[in-house]
Amino acid sequence: MRKLLRRTDIGIIIGCIFVFALFSVWNPQQWFDWGTLSNIGQYTAILGLLAIGQTFVILIREIDLSVGSVYGIVGITFAGLENSNISVLLSFILAMLLAVLIGLINAVLVIRGKLSSMIVTLGGLFFYRGLVYVTTHGAITGVPQAARENWLAQLFGGHWLRIENGFLLLLLLGFLCAVTLYQTRLGNHLLALGGDPASAESQGVPVNRVRTLAFCLCSFFAGLSAIVTLTNEPETNVSLGTGMELESIAAVVVGGTLLTGGRGTILGTILGAFFFTAVRSEMIALGAPPSWYISFVGIALLVVVTINTLLAKRLKTT
Amino acid sequence: MAKTDGTTDSRQPLISIRNVCLSYGNFQALTDVSVDFYQGEMVGLVGDNGAGKTTLIRIISGIIPPTSGEVYFDGERITKFYPKKAIDLGLECIQQTIGICDNLSVARNYFLGREPTKRFFGVPFLDKKKIRDASAKVVHDFGLRDTVDVDDEIALLSGGEKQTFKIARAVTFRNRVIIMDEPTNHLSVRERAHVNELAVQLKQQGLLVIYITHDIFQIHRIADRIVIMENGRKVTDVPRDAMSAEALEEIIRDGGRTPAKGVKSA
Amino acid sequence: MRQFIGSIVRRHPEGVTISMVVLISLAFAVITQGSWLSVGNMQSLSQLTAVLAIMAFGEAIVIATGEIDISVGSVSGIGALAFLGLAPVVGSGLALLGALACGILIGAMNGVFVALLGLPSLLVTLGTLFLFQGIGYAVTSGFSFAATNSVRQQWIYNAVGNSGVAGVNAGVIWALVVLVVLQLVVFETPVGNRILAVGGDAASSFSRGVNVTKIKFGVFVVSGLLAAFAGVLDAAFIGYADGSFGATMELSAIAAAVLGGCHLTGGRISLIGTLFGAFVLCGIQSFLILLGVQPQWYILVVGLIVVLASLADRTLTRFATKQ
Repeated sequence: MRKLLRRTDIGIIIGCIFVFALFSVWNPQQWFDWGTLSNIGQYTAILGLLAIGQTFVILIREIDLSVGSVYGIVGITFAGLENSNISVLLSFILAMLLAVLIGLINAVLVIRGKLSSMIVTLGGLFFYRGLVYVTTHGAITGVPQAARENWLAQLFGGHWLRIENGFLLLLLLGFLCAVTLYQTRLGNHLLALGGDPASAESQGVPVNRVRTLAFCLCSFFAGLSAIVTLTNEPETNVSLGTGMELESIAAVVVGGTLLTGGRGTILGTILGAFFFTAVRSEMIALGAPPSWYISFVGIALLVVVTINTLLAKRLKTT
Repeated sequence: MAKTDGTTDSRQPLISIRNVCLSYGNFQALTDVSVDFYQGEMVGLVGDNGAGKTTLIRIISGIIPPTSGEVYFDGERITKFYPKKAIDLGLECIQQTIGICDNLSVARNYFLGREPTKRFFGVPFLDKKKIRDASAKVVHDFGLRDTVDVDDEIALLSGGEKQTFKIARAVTFRNRVIIMDEPTNHLSVRERAHVNELAVQLKQQGLLVIYITHDIFQIHRIADRIVIMENGRKVTDVPRDAMSAEALEEIIRDGGRTPAKGVKSA
Repeated sequence: MRQFIGSIVRRHPEGVTISMVVLISLAFAVITQGSWLSVGNMQSLSQLTAVLAIMAFGEAIVIATGEIDISVGSVSGIGALAFLGLAPVVGSGLALLGALACGILIGAMNGVFVALLGLPSLLVTLGTLFLFQGIGYAVTSGFSFAATNSVRQQWIYNAVGNSGVAGVNAGVIWALVVLVVLQLVVFETPVGNRILAVGGDAASSFSRGVNVTKIKFGVFVVSGLLAAFAGVLDAAFIGYADGSFGATMELSAIAAAVLGGCHLTGGRISLIGTLFGAFVLCGIQSFLILLGVQPQWYILVVGLIVVLASLADRTLTRFATKQ
């Protein structure tokens, strides 16, 4: 039992159960509506995929503020390529390559340039957002109808047994990431690097390679999230993804991952994404103005960080 | 002053540690440590790595509070532990890994926490002239090469120069107690001898000097009393003359299992 | 030679930025055939710079202790709204005090979480960012607050807003005042010495008797206060404010500070550099507008500059401190 309570994500697990129960009791007609749940599943997937990538970076004590802009640029590239009559498959591959490339650039600047990840990704946030504006001149067309019917687009954006594929993808990838993180040597390296970089290095962990991988994974997932978004909802605009980096950080932190590195779970992150998505959906359903949701995120973040940090300190001293 | 016949003074101790324990989570850093320190004596605090010497010093200098136990200064119980309090009570410290801010100049590091000021319309401004002149004088008196400008960033100094700086600072600000944690780190042979001479002088001026070191032979020559710690406990507490340096070294090597011949051993 | 350059670079971390400012000012002036330097452009540019600079000064003070404050954008929004919301009701003077009080309180809230409870400042101020962004939207519920005619007559309103001296905006004067005050405090007082010490090595500062908690608490209060003041200046100049006021400005404030030579690790800042950093950012923006280039290039360029300036600064510092 004690081991259960020591999990970093115990808080969000309880929180999600609580939220689920609360909404079921309070507003059952709108909550238990399949459309609502499916919608929540989709948006949880979008934020969740983004947040999974961010989790890897935060676990190694870095941060990626550019994920929102990466999400935007990859999504718009994907849509743009398809509009240029390039096959969906090729568009997908190229867009994802762009994502990984951005991750590589981040990694190189942090590792070789020895700059802080906050600065590098802050610059990236501006740069890639600006790149989007400049190359599209503000005018975006969404994914064309023909492309949407493509098998790949359906794989990401369609649904199966009335469940959004994006959500299923989230679960699948989440599971794979969790297994990688906790059952493989690579995952061990990552956690070690985050927990104690000096020790990790002296124990032979290839720290630079692990760091590079983390940054690339982060951008990769940001790109995936964009694909999932656009194959499902083809209409988009130039400010796609603005602000999502902060939301992704909130989801990761509320999910129990500590900024001090080395501790956190993928499950927690996914639940964190679900938590915020569910609350927002319910708030909208109940007619609350969107500003209330934003404030809620802020309060939730403050509460969770306080509890998590104080708990971590207590666990250290008891 | 601890008497050489082995009995301790009946005066009140300046610092008194009683049954102090400190734990970090499951790790017990100090277990039931009790020791008294008197004005005007030099106590050598020795022991192998991880013995708890630095931890004990951190409690005395107010950096961390003990998990349990009591600390008395001048007979009064210390309830709140913070460095400023220790400094105000008259403690000066030379710590091993902390004590210098690399981004500040030598002069600013010197006066950190007690900056001299000149008031302008009631607002305290740094008395830069005084800061510069005072720190320059001290630092050069202590042998720092003349090319070092006190306005230079202290990061530019070598390890030995930084150590000399710490010593100069502690000795000049001396008050009632000086704690030196491995003060001869990074120093040349000649500089080490100088530091030890200083320590003796300070003791003779009536201060309490607590000297942490690995080198039992070195400290045995100058200290009045030797306290040996091992694995967070005090294992030996004897006046210098009660035991030879070799015997004491044997205790350290044995990990505290050899009983000490002499007055007190825990 | 290396020693000489080294000592200049060490003592003046803003060197890179100032050089950049001079270079790009020349370039802009030439390319626009002088219109970049026109009085009209300079006036609006200086106003924008002043507002961003004041916010960035607060940010720089927080960065000096090794922490970060990303709530400054939202706080400036609250300050703007508080000022314009209260002014018609209680007059500009009390409204100004009210707005500043909001900034102080929010800063204090950040300070409690970071300094007293020891929580990571990035997350705490992220939380405050969201919280007060939402409040800002809720309070305006889609509308904007505007300065009424009676308010525009009040002298305090003009003192922070529209007026100027010899063609220089009130905002600019205020920015210079704040700069002088902060420069004195950080580099010429004991408090400032301790702020820099905490950023350099908090444990060592603590061991020397510095009250690290109080220092960290104080810098967040200052940051909140200045952010609110920046919001007030902006609102008073423009004459209205809505819920989105100040959004994303925290990123520009941090960029300006970093450009100006402030190290995010703490202990090394330059307020003059920050001012120039703000100027660079706003200058580029106005330059692009003048050229008729799409303003979207602006953020792209900002992103590049932030990274390049950091690289340059990092390289110079390593060159300078190699013995």
